[in-house]
Amino acid sequence: MPTPAAAPPEPGRRKTLALIVNMAVAGIGAAFSGLLGVFAVRPARGAATERWIRAGTLGDLTPNVPVPRVLSVPRADGWYRARARETVFLVWDGAKQVKVFSATCTHLGCQVLWDGEAKKFNCPCHGGTYDASGNVLDGPPPRPLTTIDARVEGTDEAVLVRV
Amino acid sequence: MSRLLQWLDARTGFRTARHVLLDEEIPAGTGWAFTLGSVLLALISIQLLTGAFLTLYYAPTPDHAYDSVRFISSTTSGRLVRGLHHFGASFLVVFLVLHLLRVVILGSYKPPREITWLSGLALMGLVLAFALTGYLLPWDQRAYWATVVTINISKLAPVAGEAMAAVMQGGSTIGALTLTRWYSAHVIFLPALLVGLIVAHLVLMRLQGSSGPLRPKGKPFAFYPYQAFRDTVVVSIVLLAVLAMAWNGMPPLEGPADPTDANYIPRPEWYFLGLFQLLKYFPGKWEVIGAIVIPGVVAAFLALLPWIDRGPERDPRRRRLVMTLVAAGVVAVVGLTTLGWRDRPISAAGDAWSLREIGGRTIAGYSGCAKCHTDTGLADPLESMALSRGAEWVSGHVSDPEMIAPGLREPPAQRSEREVAAILAYVRRVSRQPYPGYPAQTEVAAAVWARYCVGCHRIDGDGGKDGPELSHAGVKEGKPQDVATIRTWIEDPEAIDPLADMPSFGNRLKPEQLDAISAYLAARK
Repeated sequence: MPTPAAAPPEPGRRKTLALIVNMAVAGIGAAFSGLLGVFAVRPARGAATERWIRAGTLGDLTPNVPVPRVLSVPRADGWYRARARETVFLVWDGAKQVKVFSATCTHLGCQVLWDGEAKKFNCPCHGGTYDASGNVLDGPPPRPLTTIDARVEGTDEAVLVRV
Repeated sequence: MSRLLQWLDARTGFRTARHVLLDEEIPAGTGWAFTLGSVLLALISIQLLTGAFLTLYYAPTPDHAYDSVRFISSTTSGRLVRGLHHFGASFLVVFLVLHLLRVVILGSYKPPREITWLSGLALMGLVLAFALTGYLLPWDQRAYWATVVTINISKLAPVAGEAMAAVMQGGSTIGALTLTRWYSAHVIFLPALLVGLIVAHLVLMRLQGSSGPLRPKGKPFAFYPYQAFRDTVVVSIVLLAVLAMAWNGMPPLEGPADPTDANYIPRPEWYFLGLFQLLKYFPGKWEVIGAIVIPGVVAAFLALLPWIDRGPERDPRRRRLVMTLVAAGVVAVVGLTTLGWRDRPISAAGDAWSLREIGGRTIAGYSGCAKCHTDTGLADPLESMALSRGAEWVSGHVSDPEMIAPGLREPPAQRSEREVAAILAYVRRVSRQPYPGYPAQTEVAAAVWARYCVGCHRIDGDGGKDGPELSHAGVKEGKPQDVATIRTWIEDPEAIDPLADMPSFGNRLKPEQLDAISAYLAARK
């Protein structure tokens, strides 16, 4: 503490005090920047856990004919619990296997439709077409339709889809 | 490097700014007592910073406010930022009072610093307004009910009371419009005022210079680094203390706001406990004295202090009258706060689960909730769910599955209103505290209680009022009641008392349910 009869304060003391003040201020600043930075950029928690959702029963399906189903998929968006509606096609092989395709065209994300007469999926946006196994027949799509895991379960032969 | 700095200085004048900011002359002998203003500045900066970052995640709507605060608290960094904001507010109030006392004791409000003093008082009022508006934002039970009280108190103000309350409330009830209003005040209007007033307060302080010790001896010294060093030391200690509290303690977050919950007893944050206690001494029509008149007189006294305590004398030993009044005020505030703190309602149940909550778990168990609410199901398990919905939504959800996911769920069995209320109570409780586990017979008894008895009877303050209170059903007129008698009462009341109002439950309850509820009631001595 400067004495009342402060002669010009000694420069060494002044320097030490200035150093301490500067370091402390820098330290506090760094600590808070770090904490607030982490808080601001932390990855959105609560990423959707995988769920198996019931999409119908084998009784609803006809062998080798894609049947559209709209699923209501729970999505965790931070604190917000939303439900996304997602269209899938169920293709039953007539036995115990069901293949499930996403209805989203791999080109630009439009929803494809099943043409029962031509036996192919048509994308209404840019004319992409896929066969009943989801493979590209024509047009701009770069990949086959996305396959979604599915299984048949229970006495009522429920089709469960992983979303 | 030095040429670059010179170039910059010529264009920005930063060296002059630094000189103006840091080389202020401080009266000799100015000591640690004069660091409190800097502590406040640091604490307010922390509030502004953490508050600004909290808005990254907070959503000011009744449907989402609670969820978003829960979400913030779910990570370490969020818990810390929210903790700093919450506990920082308490520190801010404490240091405001200390700073005020320092100014009063050393007579720093005396000419020419009257306006500095008034701007400081206005800042204090602003900080309390921040505390009040911020309290509502988590939209939990205490937030909601404290706000109900605040708005009702403001109605007591003469002339403009009703109008003020209407402005604060926004809509016809405390709800969405209140929340957005208080949010805007808390994050836009009040901060703008606060920053403006702080600048004014600091400019005035610099203009008049620091009042310094009573009798400065020797030559003044430069703020930086000498007084800055003291400021830094105290500020660092205080910030570490806030951080320690944020690290160790989770800021409180009770169940989501429930306007229908008549049993909730609201209590304010500790710095309003004095006012809260004061109100208790002025019941009925005298309430306005405790709520408005006394706080108003205190505020007016403080505002007029420079004109009440005239004369240049700053030494507290020669300002007996003012010192006595201030000391009396401090004793009153501390005393009232302590009394308010101790005068807590004894919660009968404490941490134990209420019978309704336990029953809700049993009812949820036999209602098929777990068909969807499982780890791999459509929805989160009930035990790990953050329920922020109200009773209406839940009853709709339980009774009408189509409402949530068309075609994807099998309807559960129809549930009565009371069963829904019990499920709701259970889910709310379990989202705050894991199920502690109770004997199987108690679980069965609790479900019977929550479905049937609760309509007319009460236990531990929960239930209807048409029938006798059953908290001590195991004793009647000083004599223990045995299980068999209670069982007969429930099975067929008229067998014991032909005039009994109670319906018979013999054909509605299974034998094991009758056994469980009778044994449970008999055990309540």
